[in-house]
Amino acid sequence: MDVLKNKRNWKYVLIVQTLLLVLIGIFCTTLGPADISFKESAGIILSKVPFFQNWFPADDYSYVHQTIIWSLRMPRIVLAALVGGALGVVGGTLQGFFKNPMADPYVMGVSSGAALGATIAIVSGTAGFLGMMRIPVFSFVGAFLTTWIVYSLARVGQKVVVSALLLSGVALSAFLSAIMSFLMVFNAEEIDKVYLWLMGSFANKNWEHVQISAPFVLIGVVCLLLFAKEMNALVFGDSTAQHLGIDLAKTQIIILIFTSLTTAGAVAVCGSIGFVGLIIPHVVRILVGPDHRILLPLSFLLGGTFLVVTDTFARTFLAPIEIPVGVITAMFGGPFFIYLLKRKKAGL
Amino acid sequence: MKANPSITAKKITFGYGKNNILDELNLEIGKGSFVSIIGPNGSGKSTLLKNITAEFTPQKGVVLLENKDIFKIKKKVLAQNIAVVPQDTGGDFAFSVSETVLMGRMPHQKRFQTDSAKDLEIARWAMELTNVWHLKDRSVHELSGGEKQRVIVARALTQEPTVLLLDEPTSHLDIQHQFELLELLENLNQTKGVTVIAVLHDLNLAAQFSQKIILLNEGKIMAYGPPVQVLTAQNIRESYHIEVAITTNEITDRFNIIPLSKQKDRSDTAQNLKIHLICGGGSGVYLMEQLYQSGYPISCGVLNIGDSDWKKAKDLNIAISEEAPFASISDEALAANQELIHNADLIIVLPVPFGNGNYANLMQVFDALCRENKKVMVVEESESGQRDFTGGKAELLITSMFQHGAVSIKNIRQLLERIGGK
Repeated sequence: MDVLKNKRNWKYVLIVQTLLLVLIGIFCTTLGPADISFKESAGIILSKVPFFQNWFPADDYSYVHQTIIWSLRMPRIVLAALVGGALGVVGGTLQGFFKNPMADPYVMGVSSGAALGATIAIVSGTAGFLGMMRIPVFSFVGAFLTTWIVYSLARVGQKVVVSALLLSGVALSAFLSAIMSFLMVFNAEEIDKVYLWLMGSFANKNWEHVQISAPFVLIGVVCLLLFAKEMNALVFGDSTAQHLGIDLAKTQIIILIFTSLTTAGAVAVCGSIGFVGLIIPHVVRILVGPDHRILLPLSFLLGGTFLVVTDTFARTFLAPIEIPVGVITAMFGGPFFIYLLKRKKAGL
Repeated sequence: MKANPSITAKKITFGYGKNNILDELNLEIGKGSFVSIIGPNGSGKSTLLKNITAEFTPQKGVVLLENKDIFKIKKKVLAQNIAVVPQDTGGDFAFSVSETVLMGRMPHQKRFQTDSAKDLEIARWAMELTNVWHLKDRSVHELSGGEKQRVIVARALTQEPTVLLLDEPTSHLDIQHQFELLELLENLNQTKGVTVIAVLHDLNLAAQFSQKIILLNEGKIMAYGPPVQVLTAQNIRESYHIEVAITTNEITDRFNIIPLSKQKDRSDTAQNLKIHLICGGGSGVYLMEQLYQSGYPISCGVLNIGDSDWKKAKDLNIAISEEAPFASISDEALAANQELIHNADLIIVLPVPFGNGNYANLMQVFDALCRENKKVMVVEESESGQRDFTGGKAELLITSMFQHGAVSIKNIRQLLERIGGK
């Protein structure tokens, strides 16, 4: 364990975990009704990558397999990795920001805001302007509005009172969920669609979804990584952070903006997937310690890996029936949350 | 020093809601000085500290660091100059001690810069000074309150500040570490010229270590100056509402403040009663202070020059009859004493040892009792147990004083109750 905690080994940890994510990702593309080998799958993927194309010409592989791997399974896995990574980083960030190991995107109300936006989009019909971008755009708007409201409620002067932020987040979450249920009662015919979305799923996702999500997630994650040192200081309290030369008001706003950007990018395309943001940073903290400079990047990689694996499980376990991936993560997450509570009593 | 202020506060007013905690407060702290901030709970000590570190923004007024407005200095630059040891040390996550201390280097590093050899060296220096080097791999949240406090001090030192502010840094420390910490601060102050500003609760520690003390009361500076000037029984009574005895500590050449009781009612019954004390050898120090504080006109005699009672009487500007040390009492001194006794309404004989040298004092008291019908009180309690070194003469005289109406008092506490009760 201590080998992982040594600062000098950080880069190896990250390299190994990246390779692991790639290998697991490729392996997961081979699973499913069509029987495709690991070698073939890897070849098909590499044939689409600019530089490797020279060694792996697309003509070597059957068109059907190419479609299955590259157009059906691959976007789904890339999206799962992106979303899992996003949730991991946002969870790790918020736990440090709130000095509260229980924080995750759902606590702050961001996810509820995004979910309400999506619900409104669904019940008002997917036709009309924006087309298939309708749900994501509405989610973004919901997430941003919620963050903004929560933030203004919790702000005293130029600074954010963290406990107020947490409380108003919880209160607003409940309020938004109530509106969502209210909308669902009046739109009974759409209830299945909303429900499915709320449970979180990567079913029927294509490269277009990746294109919608990736910019927001990647920009958000990279910007949050830039503030890893500040987050370390924030763990010791807002005043300590100030004493160590951090412009508190500015840092708080930046962190809130980029966490909601990242969360919206994730939630918009695949609905609410709970507990990833909670579990992953905790596991990472146990492995490498609380330093955000390693915690955040590793949470991204591990979160991605975790969601790729759980999504593949959701897709294949009861095939052809697909279990929403949110159900699987919650099944892991609930017991883990209880375990954390018990551990906290014994001194986390 | 004074020409070069490190921190200046001009008319700062700060409050939560409508209540002003600080009220148009002006303050100037000299560069390289060691200043303690004292005052009762809720007097605004921590608030003042937070205002002069730019953690809180005062509603009115400005705070200057070396003549620059602290709100116009970049936070990072400010943190290179000012380090703070807060009351709440924070930290629920499992950062190790060395990681925590190294965070003190943040203001000196660029965003992606990792800890250099120099950073590590400074952190080690700070940890060794604060006696936490052996804890370096432990997790901060599993340390005791005192250990944690020392880690936070180490982090502050790692910032290499020119001004170090500490908010009750000794609150969780045992007596050894309290001393070690303050000695360390004193040392940094003297060798590196670091300006130290500390909120302290322990008045004796404040008196012993600081060059200047700020006494805050109800958001205002009640006194600001060297310990002797600030820590007077009167200032302490008015701010803390307790009675204290201030005694000179012969060992440290400083003074000690001993809390006695809560504030006594000081109505005008004081105090037309003139009191003369027969004391010596330190037996009267405490009583003199008490009577003086209560406003009684006091005199003393005959005291040897250099005696601790003599010093105290001189400090308080009390009328005395004095004699050269180790000499028997001269006629002049006796005459002076006679005069003082004659003017007094009450004579108190303290448990001072009587030998042939000062037996004459006792004779004078006996005279005053019998001839002038003066009131006499004799305090019996003596630490040494024996007060008669005249072969029984003194004891005999005291016994006959009692027969003539002198009052026997068990100890000084009882005496004060008797006098106060009148």
